[in-house]
Amino acid sequence: MRVASIDVRLERRLAVWRGTALLVTSGSLLLALVVGGIFLKLTGHPPLDVYRELAKTAYFNWYGFTDTLGASTPLVLTGLAAAVGFKMNLYNIGAEGQLFLGGIASAWAGIAIVPGMPGPLAVLTVMFAGALGGAAWAFIPALTRAYFNTSEIVTTLMFNFIGLYLMQYLIQGSYSYWRDPKIVGFPQGKEIVDAARLPHWNFPADSMFGIAFPPGRTQVHLGLAFGVIAALGLWVLIERTRFGYGVRVTGDSPAAARYAGISIRGSIIVVMLISGALAGLAGAGIVAGQGYKLDPGGLAVALGYTGIVVAALARSNPFAVVVVAVLLGGLRTGADNMQSAPDNLKIPVAIAGMLEGAVLICALGGELFRTHRISVRRVPSNSDREEHLSGAVGVGVSP
Amino acid sequence: MKRTAKIGAAALALTLGLAACGSDKEKVDAGGGDKTTTTAGEKPAGALKVAFVYIGPVGDGGWTDRHDKGREEMVAKLGDKVEVTVLENILDNAASEATFQKLARDGNKLIFATSFGYGDPMLKIAGDFPDTCFQWATGFKTADNLGTYFGAAEEARYLSGIAAAHASKNGKIGYVAAFPIPEVLRGINAFTLGARSVNPAATVQVVWTSTWFDPKVEKEAAESLLAEGVDLLAQHQDSTAVGEAAKEKGAKWVGYNDDQSKVAPEAWLTAPIWNWGGYYTKAAESVLGGKCDNSQYYGTMADGLVGLADFGSSVDQATKDHIEAVKKTILDGSFKPFTGPINDQSGKEILKKDEVAELGALLGTDYFVEGVIGEIPKQ
Repeated sequence: MRVASIDVRLERRLAVWRGTALLVTSGSLLLALVVGGIFLKLTGHPPLDVYRELAKTAYFNWYGFTDTLGASTPLVLTGLAAAVGFKMNLYNIGAEGQLFLGGIASAWAGIAIVPGMPGPLAVLTVMFAGALGGAAWAFIPALTRAYFNTSEIVTTLMFNFIGLYLMQYLIQGSYSYWRDPKIVGFPQGKEIVDAARLPHWNFPADSMFGIAFPPGRTQVHLGLAFGVIAALGLWVLIERTRFGYGVRVTGDSPAAARYAGISIRGSIIVVMLISGALAGLAGAGIVAGQGYKLDPGGLAVALGYTGIVVAALARSNPFAVVVVAVLLGGLRTGADNMQSAPDNLKIPVAIAGMLEGAVLICALGGELFRTHRISVRRVPSNSDREEHLSGAVGVGVSP
Repeated sequence: MKRTAKIGAAALALTLGLAACGSDKEKVDAGGGDKTTTTAGEKPAGALKVAFVYIGPVGDGGWTDRHDKGREEMVAKLGDKVEVTVLENILDNAASEATFQKLARDGNKLIFATSFGYGDPMLKIAGDFPDTCFQWATGFKTADNLGTYFGAAEEARYLSGIAAAHASKNGKIGYVAAFPIPEVLRGINAFTLGARSVNPAATVQVVWTSTWFDPKVEKEAAESLLAEGVDLLAQHQDSTAVGEAAKEKGAKWVGYNDDQSKVAPEAWLTAPIWNWGGYYTKAAESVLGGKCDNSQYYGTMADGLVGLADFGSSVDQATKDHIEAVKKTILDGSFKPFTGPINDQSGKEILKKDEVAELGALLGTDYFVEGVIGEIPKQ
């Protein structure tokens, strides 16, 4: 019996049009807002007003925006850390742990080696130590990936836990070099010297152009400059150098790279080290720019994992990473702010986390549509359909 | 092929975009409607803006819940004179600095921060907002406009130790402890002193969880103590997991923070609890009167900050009478739990006979008293 049916399937696109990326990215962000909006509506909040208030407190308010930039600073760096790996299909899930080690190394430098140094040198030393710490933590997974083809996804992920417990042990589990023995209450890290602290940017006057600036320093510190410079440097490295060309070719086709005489092992190790160093810088920025000490509670807030979301949404473009980091940083700032919003806009903090999750799922779903397309066609008979099924992921729908 | 792919993608993206626009459109009206109805009025003009920053969620059944009850009590007493903002789940790390700045800039003149880690971020910015009064729970440093508040939980811990020793059949008591910091050590010591005032041979075995709120870890720790043969459990964390473990094994339980008897009515004896409302009201009244209390307030059972939860049904009258008698001497100030002779774990004398520990020494407690089985990581 010949029954006509409609066949819906996903097919890999032969070529990806550049504009598709932008459309799909913005589409997935919009979709996330819609999904979040449905939840807001169901919990009795007016979604558009909530979004407007969120945007207002996080972006269109002087101090809100500086708070957002402060929250975005580590995300720029962890986003770049993930992005550089993605360029050659290397999945460093370990920015989280590399950030911890960066924090540990920079706090050590800030206590042990920079006292006595002039300000700029002290700051550079502390940041460099952070980068070194992060790179060191990425080195072993890099070696095992390069020489034994061990999955870097698994090894870097496991290293995150080792890093976390190491950091907690240094402060809470022992009287280590990092812990301040003078504080009798809850265990705390020793403070780094003043010279090593990243300067914060402040509004130059109490009021300018008729806008009044309330007192207090902003959350924008020099770490943001490190992030922007790193983005620029990464773009030059990947797009404008011979090494970057090798990385891109390896990402597109390892076989072609090998044929062209590109050292894949060398690229893996160098890219992993760069990735780790960027994550380590993020940790150093938190230690030297915010807490001035090794504080597990301040470093272990999933900045490394969020960096993966940033890189995915930014499609690994370094400049897009900066923009997306600011968007997601604003979501974090806005979410806390929304708790002090007018009554009907007060949303539970859990909804903010849910929005972040929705953005991630939509971004990953969007990626599928960027590289694949949906084809819908009528299939004359069952026997014909079976032939079609081989070679493509398909879902048959019978009318 | 390539062309159709492009068009398909564009169409798909457009569909997603349009779908988004469509549903957003509907929400404009709904949202707008909601807004006009709910933001109208209800803000008392000139009210004192008070903010509460909580480390956990309201509804944790412990620490944060008690603070929120205190807030309710303050609002009930002061009514229109205060306008309250509550922030839950704010991590107590350096990033919380931005939260405190925003609260101060938004015009909050009194800010209660209910976790230790909020201290440094608040101290960093307090000077920028001289008109705002900051209050740091469990803190140890002050500033011109920043005071601390905490209390002598050890008084209630001592009484709960008496209840425990009366209830334990074999004198082997377990204590699921959070972190080896003075506050926790002080609590364990007071509890042990109370227990040994009833049964001088009683022991209190300590297991560290390194958590404040992690029901799974805390339950496992409780089970490990039960496996060692203890027949009674006390705790310092904010969850009720220890009570569940006690219930399953037919052991008795001394909780913490709040009346948690519903979790395990059979196991429940009592618990040291916090009543923050009185302090919150007093602090708000003092700011309303133009003053910021920047002292280091350390409340007691006598002034009501610390209390003892209602007894469970298994607590007999003799035990209740005993505890009431000791409680009376604590309330009238004639007895302090840390009164010598007190020796530490190794037998070394800490307090001579009739010597009373000073508050400063208690706040820096770094030893276990005799009768505690367990270790404190050493420097």
